[in-house]
Amino acid sequence: MGEQWGFYFDSDKCIGCHACSVSCKQRHGRDPEQDEWRTVKNVTTGEFPDVSSLPISMSCMHCSDAPCEKVCPCNSIQKREEDGIVVVDRDSCIGCHYCGWACPYGAPTYDDGGIMSKCNLCIGEGPGGGYGMPPREEQEDGGAQPACVDNCVGGAIEAGPVSELKEKASTKAVEQFEQEPANVIVEANREDTNAFPYEA
Amino acid sequence: MSSRSENCLTRRSLLKAGVGAATMAALGGCVSDTAAELGIGTTDRTATPVADANTAFGNCWMCCHNCAQEVKVTDDGTVVGITGVDGNPRGSAGPGTEGTLCPKGLGQLDKTHDPERIKQPYIRVDGELREATWEEAFEYTAERLEAFDEEYGAETFLDAGSWAETPIFRTIWRDLYGTPERIGRGVHVCAGATFVSGSMMGIGSNNRIPDYQNSEYLIMWGRNPLESFAGQFEAKGILKAIEENNATLVTIDPQYTETAEKSDMWLPIKPRTDGALALAMANVIIEEELYDAEFVENHTYGFEAYQEAVADRTPEWAAEITDLDADAIRDIARGFAEAAPQAGISVWAGTAQTGNSWKTTQNINALNGLVGNIDRPGGLRFWKSSPIADPFEVCEWTPDDKATETTIGVDLPNNAEGKTPAFRKYDEYSDNPARHITGIAHNLVPEMVENGHINGMYCHHDMPLKDGNAEAWLKALDEMELVIAVDAYWNGITRNADVVFADATQLEKDTIGTGSWSSYSDKQWVVGGKAAVEPQFNTKPDWEILTGIAEAMGWGEYFPWEDHEEFIDDQLSKVDLTLEELSSGEANYELVGEYGYEQWRDSDGPAFKFDLDQVGPFTKAAEEAGMGTAPEWHPPGTYGDELSEEYPLEFYDIRSVFFSHGSDQGIDRLLEQFARKNDLEEKDYRGNYLHINPIDAEARDIEMGDIVTVESKTGSGELMAHVTELIKPGVVTSEYGFGEGSTQQDYEGMNTMILHDTQMDPITGQPDRHLAVEVTGGE
Repeated sequence: MGEQWGFYFDSDKCIGCHACSVSCKQRHGRDPEQDEWRTVKNVTTGEFPDVSSLPISMSCMHCSDAPCEKVCPCNSIQKREEDGIVVVDRDSCIGCHYCGWACPYGAPTYDDGGIMSKCNLCIGEGPGGGYGMPPREEQEDGGAQPACVDNCVGGAIEAGPVSELKEKASTKAVEQFEQEPANVIVEANREDTNAFPYEA
Repeated sequence: MSSRSENCLTRRSLLKAGVGAATMAALGGCVSDTAAELGIGTTDRTATPVADANTAFGNCWMCCHNCAQEVKVTDDGTVVGITGVDGNPRGSAGPGTEGTLCPKGLGQLDKTHDPERIKQPYIRVDGELREATWEEAFEYTAERLEAFDEEYGAETFLDAGSWAETPIFRTIWRDLYGTPERIGRGVHVCAGATFVSGSMMGIGSNNRIPDYQNSEYLIMWGRNPLESFAGQFEAKGILKAIEENNATLVTIDPQYTETAEKSDMWLPIKPRTDGALALAMANVIIEEELYDAEFVENHTYGFEAYQEAVADRTPEWAAEITDLDADAIRDIARGFAEAAPQAGISVWAGTAQTGNSWKTTQNINALNGLVGNIDRPGGLRFWKSSPIADPFEVCEWTPDDKATETTIGVDLPNNAEGKTPAFRKYDEYSDNPARHITGIAHNLVPEMVENGHINGMYCHHDMPLKDGNAEAWLKALDEMELVIAVDAYWNGITRNADVVFADATQLEKDTIGTGSWSSYSDKQWVVGGKAAVEPQFNTKPDWEILTGIAEAMGWGEYFPWEDHEEFIDDQLSKVDLTLEELSSGEANYELVGEYGYEQWRDSDGPAFKFDLDQVGPFTKAAEEAGMGTAPEWHPPGTYGDELSEEYPLEFYDIRSVFFSHGSDQGIDRLLEQFARKNDLEEKDYRGNYLHINPIDAEARDIEMGDIVTVESKTGSGELMAHVTELIKPGVVTSEYGFGEGSTQQDYEGMNTMILHDTQMDPITGQPDRHLAVEVTGGE
């Protein structure tokens, strides 16, 4: 298997502006009101004035042991050998929503016909754009920068082969990452902050 | 995007009607033709419109602060992708950093092709707006302007030409038509006291943007620059200062914002008491001798008066007034003074849109003089504008009557010369101290219309209906004899206009951007873009609209340029560039000059004034308003509303990251994200929200998502409640730019200024947007 790709998210740099969600929808030609492949939530806790409102941006985690792939009755969901990106073949998807039930993060979305689509790490454009595409390349080799990364105002989101992302991350973030199936390294430097991943 | 399918059933409508996927596929053509255009909704793995499209550049005008844009355009002229330009001055953190666009900026993609736009010119005939050709609209405008001048006088025509992407509107209305009436954005409706007090004290309007990147201590005073920024470099600069300088970030705001979230300290101050906090901080800094004695001694004026003003203003005194902890006040006073000069305070609209804003701002500004951070690295920066030429001075010109003689520079008449704006001319306004400082007060325009002192208006993108006294403005619009509007969207101005010129939006025109502040602390810059796509529908860029009016008025000779690009090239001639050079290649900005710190050393006199007793116009205004010239404390209600049993809550309006002034509230994609940000996307409502603390909500049986009524002494409106712990009890806020008269099609939400009357800062005439209200109507 080629090297697993993933995201890196630094909550200290996220300013909750939703530019990632907007640019994701624009890249993939999705209508404003459609469910999001990448979504931003502010996790608000406490009572005035002892409050906190942590902005979190999340999408498909491209899990190592992807539960959505396992439950798909039509084998429409594929965990790609070459880069570990989880994609869906919309031609064979029957819209049963099993993947939605299986996913702990609420990543799959369904269009009005019930067919699943979700983040494909911008290896293609549009809902069907991930399946069957050539292996993910880095930007310097001609790979498209994922829209969310390209437009993150605070520089909170990065994407790349997991080994490269680990080099940027703190030890704490890497340790936490090693314990999860999700291929997203989350930097949450503040003490007492354990808001991620939240249950969708 | 769904609009692309408007001529046939959309996927959405089909499937809502219960038609399955198989039927969908069988329907073929209709769906796939439109969808395939952008590779949307198909399983065609080869459709990659963004990757395959051509690259063009622009500079974002959604909030008019020039973040550079890189756009992707298909061969048929559709914008399919948009992002930032690396290293650009306003939209990146500086050299070698990623350039981005905020959600508003990304919204330009949608705006360009938005079918809700005004698609062609209109003129009013027999009371109704009807479609017109461009030629008809220009002719009609010229006739009306000439008749207006004869009957009412050109001097009663108000130029409200803000946010134009060309400066020539000033030439046309002031120099050629000859009106002295002008309303702008900065002083008149945005942050009067911030701008004017800053200028008088010696720091200009640089009190808004500190030298973020070199700073070690940053106080965001009534500001939320991680969401409401003047270019993304603000947010990026603050994050960089935290990351690289380990800077301390302090936010003073009754509401817990994204900026508060990233701050080391959040001070949820009672609204309109910021002036007391500033005096108490000075008390600590002077008492503990933490100030820059050398700077104060050698480069300032009026320190004794300041010292006297703060002598008994202890943190304990301020704690009572501000609802803050005295120790917290001491903490930030010490932290700020000890980090100085690498310490900056940022103020803008938050502390300026109140009745007592003058002293509030003067007191806050004074802290900068005290710690000597003036134009020093990491402190307040004297941002220097880019050196561009005035095309009217450098162009080759051949006047009509001298067909063979070419000169350098256009000999423009000055037809407004000797004319006095109504505010200063007529006794009716003589009880307004602000007339010593400024030529117009936004809130009084309706009265001027009633008095026949203003009878018409040119309005370009400006949305006065969101700026104060909205009810009276709506009436005034109706009464005006002539309203000429240039805009991209239907709103309360365009719907009430006599002529509507359909403006192309920013990616459809040649533009340059210049400015002062940016992520480059010591560099001047220009950014430019040639039109990325043709003007959409039957629209024209504002340059062509204004020169079209000029031509019809017989002023064509004063505009010797072939097109806007030629005009821009004249502007750029001073820095040896052309628009073509600027906007081709890898990026579309250039650094065109460099400047150092401590520029106040170049001029005579004190660098900073604490006391304004020597500023003539101000002393007159202050005397009439009953205030002193040095810093002092004005409690809420000295000018403006007082809370009462009947109206116990303090309301003011705010901005979100999704919308700027008044021109993008109608973009669906932004409305949708805004609803999501407030966790109310499931509601069938896309207006603004009333942010209210659970304590205040429960007392009124209000729950999240209820439609509530907000009532002030003079007006009321309805909007959806957003119940949140992130706001101080006793305070309610809402985003401005919605409701009646807004660019949102159905006027959903509340025009916050419907609650407003003529409350203002007496010195600058800046509308005071802090209002006493009651909220009712939980479901």
